[in-house]
Formats: sequence, structure tokens, C-alpha cells
Amino acid sequence: MLPLSLLKTAQGHPMLVELKNGETYNGHLVNCDTWMNIHLREVICTSKDGDRFWRMPECYIRGNTIKYLRVPDEVIDKVQEETKSRADRKPPGVGRGRGRGREDGPGGRQPKGAGRGLDDGARTTSGGRGRGGSGGKNTGGRGSGRGRG
Amino acid sequence: MSGRKETVLDLAKFVDKGVQVKLTGGRQVTGTLKGYDQLLNLVLDEAVEFLRDQDDPLKTTDQTRRLGLIVCRGTAVMLVSPTDGTDEIANPFIQPDGA
Repeated sequence: MLPLSLLKTAQGHPMLVELKNGETYNGHLVNCDTWMNIHLREVICTSKDGDRFWRMPECYIRGNTIKYLRVPDEVIDKVQEETKSRADRKPPGVGRGRGRGREDGPGGRQPKGAGRGLDDGARTTSGGRGRGGSGGKNTGGRGSGRGRG
Repeated sequence: MSGRKETVLDLAKFVDKGVQVKLTGGRQVTGTLKGYDQLLNLVLDEAVEFLRDQDDPLKTTDQTRRLGLIVCRGTAVMLVSPTDGTDEIANPFIQPDGA
């Protein structure tokens, strides 16, 4: 378990943050990032000596000033669940499979183009667009022939 | 790019509002937020510094010093909070002898 994943899981929970200068901040974690910068809501700030208190609606704390954080015990259960499900969700090689499929793509398209140009036979084996155009002309010719018949 | 999304707190909502900023080293400043960047450099207008106790630099006093328009360097910014709704209160926690 990584400290920052625990912190991320603790989003929405109440917590206590002590800064290096000794001030403590009690509040609900709104958000945190990879620098441990945190955003708290409904905060109570306590001075270093613990005899003055301030209430603030929210505050942003820079990660590098944090000494430690106290998070509720139940967060640890959640973080374990999350890491487990994340491991289950990641069968290896899924990305690679997709890549291979794409490589096969052009091969699959070529027969399609040949089918469209059936009337021309092997005469037009160049670009797909060219083939499509000639195929259209041919079908038109065929249509008129049918009309006559 | 995740670099742009790095700020956890959207300072946009504090622009032209009063903010309280604590700086590394213990200085404490309030002012009107006029601008900021992704490094948390701040522009504060009509900034006021709260002077600290001569004997205990961790304690702020009621004495202030007017600074005017300032730029706070992001690396020195420790804490940002809105001044609106920030008040000193009595001890909200249970007293040790009461517990």
C-alpha cells in the first residue's frame, strides 16, 4: 500500500494534518495530488501550542509543509479493496491484442475491395478508391443492360 | 498533460476575494487575490502582514503592516484559505480534563 493511494482513498473523510511548524488542521479531505498538496473543507486550525483555534471554510495546504496526517481507520480497509480490484482488472496483454488486430485490418479490407470490383475482375488491383469508382461505373452499365433485357 | 491539472485547489474562485496566506518561515499575509499561476505564485493587492511576537515568532499578534501590492513566491506559500468565514473560535475539541 502506498501512502499516496491511502490518502487518495481518504478523500471525503475527516482527517488531521500537522504541518512542520506544529500547526494542526482538522478537516474533510476534498482532494489531494501526487505532491501531497491537499484541499480541506470545514477546517479547524489549531496553533502549535494548542491554545488558539480558527475555523475556516476551506484551505489549501502545500504538500512539502506536512509533517504527518492522521486518517480514519476504516480508510485502510477501503484502500485494500481498491488495490485488489485494480489488480483483478488488469489482465496482461489486452493492449497488445488490440494492436495485433489493427495490423490485420488492412488485410481484411483488401478482399472487400476486390469484391466490390468483381465485374472488373483482376484488371484494377491498384488503390481502393480507384477500384470503387470503376466498380460504380460498371454496375451502372449492368443496370442499363438489364433494362434492355 | 497532467502538469496543468496539478493544482488541487482551483484558485479561480478566490480571485478578487480576500485570502489568507501563510508563508514558510512564519509570515502571515492577507490580501485580495488578483492573480496566480500553476506554481502557486500569487498576486495580492492591499496586502497586510500580521506581525509576530518578538519573543515567539510562531505567534501572530494584532499588529499589522501594510504591504500594498505584492507577489508571493509559490515555493514559499504554505497555506491558502479564504478570509471569508475564517474566524478565531473557542476550543471546539473536548478538553483533556473533561474527557
